[in-house]
Amino acid sequence: MIVRSKRTETRGALRAVAALAAPVLVLAGCGAGGGQADPGDGDGTITIWAHQGQDREVAALQDAVDAFGDANPDIAVELTLIPEADYTTTVTTASPDELPDVLEFDGPTMASLVYNGKLSPIDDFVSEQTRSNATDSILAQGTLDGSLYGLGMFDSGLGVYGNAALLDEAGISFPEGMEDAWTAQEFTDALADLAAKDDDGRVLDVKQNYGFGSGSEWTTYAFSPVVWSAGGALIDGDSADGALNTPGTVEALSLVQEWAGYTDANTDDSAFVSGDVALSLVGHWEYPNYSEALGEDLVVLPLPDFGHGVKTGQGSWAWGVAGTSDNGSAAGAFIDFLMADDQVAAMTAANGAPPGTKSAIETSDLYGPGGDLSLFADQLAATCGAGPVTADCVAVPRPVTAGYPVITRQFADAFAAIWEGGDVAEALDGAVTAIDTDFADNDSFTIS
Amino acid sequence: MTAPAPPGAARTRPKARRQGWAGPLMALPAVAGLALFVALPFAMAIGLSLFNVRLDSFRPPDFFALEQYRRILVSPDFSGDFYRALGNNVLFAAVIVPVQTAAALALALLLNRPLRGMPVFRTFFFMPVVFPMALIATVWRLILDPGPDGMLNSVLGLATFGLFSPQDWLGDAATAMPSIMLLSLWQGVGFQMVILLAGLQGIPRQLYEAAEVDGAGRWQRFRAVTLPGLRNTLVFVALVTMILSFRLFDQVYILTRGGPDGATSTVMYLAVTTAFAESNVSRAAAMTVVLFVVVLGLTLLQRRLVTQEREIS
Repeated sequence: MIVRSKRTETRGALRAVAALAAPVLVLAGCGAGGGQADPGDGDGTITIWAHQGQDREVAALQDAVDAFGDANPDIAVELTLIPEADYTTTVTTASPDELPDVLEFDGPTMASLVYNGKLSPIDDFVSEQTRSNATDSILAQGTLDGSLYGLGMFDSGLGVYGNAALLDEAGISFPEGMEDAWTAQEFTDALADLAAKDDDGRVLDVKQNYGFGSGSEWTTYAFSPVVWSAGGALIDGDSADGALNTPGTVEALSLVQEWAGYTDANTDDSAFVSGDVALSLVGHWEYPNYSEALGEDLVVLPLPDFGHGVKTGQGSWAWGVAGTSDNGSAAGAFIDFLMADDQVAAMTAANGAPPGTKSAIETSDLYGPGGDLSLFADQLAATCGAGPVTADCVAVPRPVTAGYPVITRQFADAFAAIWEGGDVAEALDGAVTAIDTDFADNDSFTIS
Repeated sequence: MTAPAPPGAARTRPKARRQGWAGPLMALPAVAGLALFVALPFAMAIGLSLFNVRLDSFRPPDFFALEQYRRILVSPDFSGDFYRALGNNVLFAAVIVPVQTAAALALALLLNRPLRGMPVFRTFFFMPVVFPMALIATVWRLILDPGPDGMLNSVLGLATFGLFSPQDWLGDAATAMPSIMLLSLWQGVGFQMVILLAGLQGIPRQLYEAAEVDGAGRWQRFRAVTLPGLRNTLVFVALVTMILSFRLFDQVYILTRGGPDGATSTVMYLAVTTAFAESNVSRAAAMTVVLFVVVLGLTLLQRRLVTQEREIS
């Protein structure tokens, strides 16, 4: 199928070198970018890879697979679960030929997988009904260069959880929703007011226990909204210069630097539930723990506004079809099945995440209108998508580019330096240089 | 082999040839292992460092010549991080090698007594060596917790009757590296201690008895009998400790991620994160090659200093 040119041979030899020098490295396969699955005849066996998350998620997925088998006797399904910690590495290092028909992937890795020919567009394989029912943020995450590559059953979002009792005690009024969100200065002032009433002056939790610095995806996910909200960006086209180091971003991150002094290190992950801190900046996933611990005192607030509107992150696990699959129709039917209301409701009941379809959100107790977490659904409904980040849109997907690994590492490094009191402009300029050099080295990761 | 033949060499030559044949044969398994698992990967790392190779990328590797070396060694944008990391490695080794060797020697002397229950004490001091570093780092994270409830902070608070104000041990650039050093010392000292214990037990008792008869005090016996008797063991221990200290990685990765602001970054840490967080395999390969050259240079230097000493004595 693939004609071996002299160039691919040298590439093969170097791959062998790479593979031997670092056993984890298996750079295999040929061809550059954009796989295209064969539709096949819509029956037979499809193989599936999924990440092994929490037990309840696994059970929900297993139920979905069984139900799909019952509903489609012509299609046999083979599900392989891979531990979450190894999942992305496994997909990254597998050659396209080794991939199953259907694979799960983490949102920010999609562009890289497409670039390497490991994912096929699924526009022709999933039904029109499935696509139109998916939320705008799920579609935004799964779309690259106008083609749809992945659909997620659930999404994610960030917010600030507040302890209403502690806030009231300190005489701090807090926002009702996105409309009257705190400005960054108001938020910082609130921290100072809370600290004045607190024993150790540590009143904020930003989940430092998830790890800050090099290779910490949490750092990028949690604090890139600050950059967007300040009118900056992680990257603009193929350059971070003039996007990540704008005066507005420098000013915003200088303010965030002040938060460090009010932040509890939260080593044992109990700062918020034990009432040590009044505010916790984290994702939707803490809601079950937090509401159990605080009950009526728990309030869910948007992130503060740094001048260009409230912003939040988005994106989670998604399903796609491998670029080498020869059974695309059957794979698409499986994804259609997963994206139906029953399955989405079962999965989001299992993991508490915002549902990935419009109809499932409407019927959700938590995320539907009036629900405790409707703020998260509202934020995601106002996704910026692939378009420009305006003052009106809220949920911003992480940059969809195969150069994402260098962006996230450099941002996390720069942020850690800033958090620890380093010079803000200097840290951002360093990240910009490293990102731009990487993009220049790799022809901007364009798919030829 | 190239030494001038001694008088009457002609007669001994066949014997020498037979030895020359058996020696390499016996060394073959070890040499093959070294070649396959040390020399070959190293040669490949050199090869990788000359190309632009990405983890999980379809880009054909571009020939980069010495560009990656230029970046990490002279480019103002990238060399800062590398030299910072290398400097931290050197600082770590400069403190850890003498301190840990001395501590191990002290422990070995303490535990080299024919007392009841000594094996229990030896086991306790050796135990941290057996635990994986990942586990130890996680435990020390609780010890070094910056809050007033952190174990070290609360112990110091109690000991000073509340005068001590809680420190952010790992978050402060001044204390992050010393904290890493302390935990590494605690973890590694048992290993050196066991080697030194073996060395101590190899010193003939008669020497001590003779020294005692000559009227040597405890300190004199230590200087005149113990130290010379342990010389080779000490040299070995110092060399191994130095090489291990340039490999500093796990503690840093788990506890500080190189922070605060690069204060605990090491070359290994930088190389691993560059390869696996940033997918930049070639720059990581270049870093490891430079690290190898540095460690090789220091090892040769150390050997040379030790050999000179031996000639003098």
